[in-house]
Amino acid sequence: MEQRELQILWVAVIGYVVSGVVAIFGVVLKKAPYRFVLGTLLLGVLLLSISLGLRWERLGHGPFITLFEILASNVWSFSLIFAFAYWRYPSIRGTAAVVMPIIFIMLGWMTLSSTHDGHFPRSFRTPWLYIHVGLSKLFLGTVLVAVGMAGVVLLRRAGIGVSRFATLPNDARLDELAYRFMALGIIFQTLMLISGAIWAQDAWGRYWAWDPLETWSFITWIMLAFALHWRVTMKSSPVVGSWMILGVFVFAFLTFFGVPFISESPHKGAV
Amino acid sequence: MWFERIGAAVGAGVEAPRGWMRIALALASLKFTLANILVLLAAVVFVYDRGGEGEATLALVLPLSLLSINLLAAMATNKAFRRQLPLLVFHLALLAIIVLVALGRMTYLRATAEVLTGGEFTHLDRIEAGPWHRGGKDGIRFENLGFQIEYRPGLRREATQNRIRWRDEGGVPQTVEIGDQVPLIIKGYRFYTSPNKGFAALFRWEPAQGEAQLGSVIFPSYPLNRDDQTTNWHLQGESVTVRLVLPDRLINPESNDSFRLPGRHHVTLDFPWRLSSMSPGETLPLPGGRLTYVGLTSWMGYNVFYDWTMPWLLIACTLAVLALAWHFLRKFASKPWSAGEGEA
Repeated sequence: MEQRELQILWVAVIGYVVSGVVAIFGVVLKKAPYRFVLGTLLLGVLLLSISLGLRWERLGHGPFITLFEILASNVWSFSLIFAFAYWRYPSIRGTAAVVMPIIFIMLGWMTLSSTHDGHFPRSFRTPWLYIHVGLSKLFLGTVLVAVGMAGVVLLRRAGIGVSRFATLPNDARLDELAYRFMALGIIFQTLMLISGAIWAQDAWGRYWAWDPLETWSFITWIMLAFALHWRVTMKSSPVVGSWMILGVFVFAFLTFFGVPFISESPHKGAV
Repeated sequence: MWFERIGAAVGAGVEAPRGWMRIALALASLKFTLANILVLLAAVVFVYDRGGEGEATLALVLPLSLLSINLLAAMATNKAFRRQLPLLVFHLALLAIIVLVALGRMTYLRATAEVLTGGEFTHLDRIEAGPWHRGGKDGIRFENLGFQIEYRPGLRREATQNRIRWRDEGGVPQTVEIGDQVPLIIKGYRFYTSPNKGFAALFRWEPAQGEAQLGSVIFPSYPLNRDDQTTNWHLQGESVTVRLVLPDRLINPESNDSFRLPGRHHVTLDFPWRLSSMSPGETLPLPGGRLTYVGLTSWMGYNVFYDWTMPWLLIACTLAVLALAWHFLRKFASKPWSAGEGEA
């Protein structure tokens, strides 16, 4: 990796860490400087965009191939989507205490990953790559926002930070909002599966082949459909709903960041 | 509990239904939907575990059938469900997807083909087809006019460009370039260039009595099997091992290069009684006739796919996702996203 890309990347990481630490301490101390948190988060997004842009320019392809590229691009999309929610819905800003540690984990994993160049296959040179990957990032990002709210509900139920999360809406309202983001998530994921099938038909001559990544994506879709149906049918408590959101996120996370790197299939890494 | 909810939804009070209505309501239950989704999940994991091929996919028939019955029963018994047009359209689109996938599995075809450069497509190999497949593959004609493949250092394959000549339905010859994301589509059969391609030796056999014949011997895919360009051939009932001997670095793995025929090469023929080496143009006298090695050509491998349901599936999927978005949009519009802010 070029020195300049790496330097900008590290400054971006510092921006994320400052933003996350201040957001978490803001919740703990009940005095969150929201503008500062949002500003440093957006600064991190901007610097990461520049670093990834320079890498894109140098390699001639986007961050779609190696584990480092996939983690970095998802840190970028996670933080951009969460920054949007943070700005647009002031009442849920306290969920940063749940979301930022997840982004920290990805940042840590990213910094430990090799920054080597990966082979960009011919089958990836299609507009469907950008459509498919963009939709997958929207799906994961919206589910992450839901996870933030679900996490607050579960922490409150566990008696952790009850007073510190007091400024957030009550559990029922958080649950309702979280499910709105899950609803957005299933739309994005459905579109992601459709665009992936179109791409697979063009690239490999079949729209479905029980490839590990596409199968686990479909399994995640079924789990998401189950969670949404469960909520309508069982009218369950926010705690049960929150556990379901966490379950879907864990499956989605393993699917997107685990399966591409343990399977031997042509459909690798393009998330 | 679900009786009450459905009863209330249809405005029929809470009186317990009887006979077939009781069965229909049980089949329309949302709890039944949940159970079916779990069965579908288990079936998907099972099919995946079995490699997703052949009879294992039959495991999907049960959950998909149950979900279809569940949906039809819900539509028949639940007026509230029918009144929610976006939700109804979404579920009908899901039903259409299930039906189309089932029809697709009954009528699809997947196969491979290998066609010599300058030669015509003659047949399909490794055919896998649904029991109702009746396509018109016998009427397919096209000619492989040649291909070009670029390689980057490390033998990383780049663009594949394959020129094809075929006749349209009016019998007019058409020339197209296919490769990578662009298939040749004839009568619904889609021919995709595959990573499989290589060399083929052309031989002329002139029997002591009778007409001369021109034939080809196809070697394994190149450069994947560059160290083992050997194949078995049957000539006049004798088994012959034919080996293609190429220069060491026909495609240079250390620089940009392209797939091409070798300038200098020879083939060896291992008969049960002797080993012979032949260069292009050489003739070998054999018991019963003369064998001439005409020269080397290339061949392109194709993945062939037929599934008439594809455009309809795309329409059904698009309709499903649009209807779902419409449903959520209507549902969420009734209460602002920022409502209740500051509640604790």
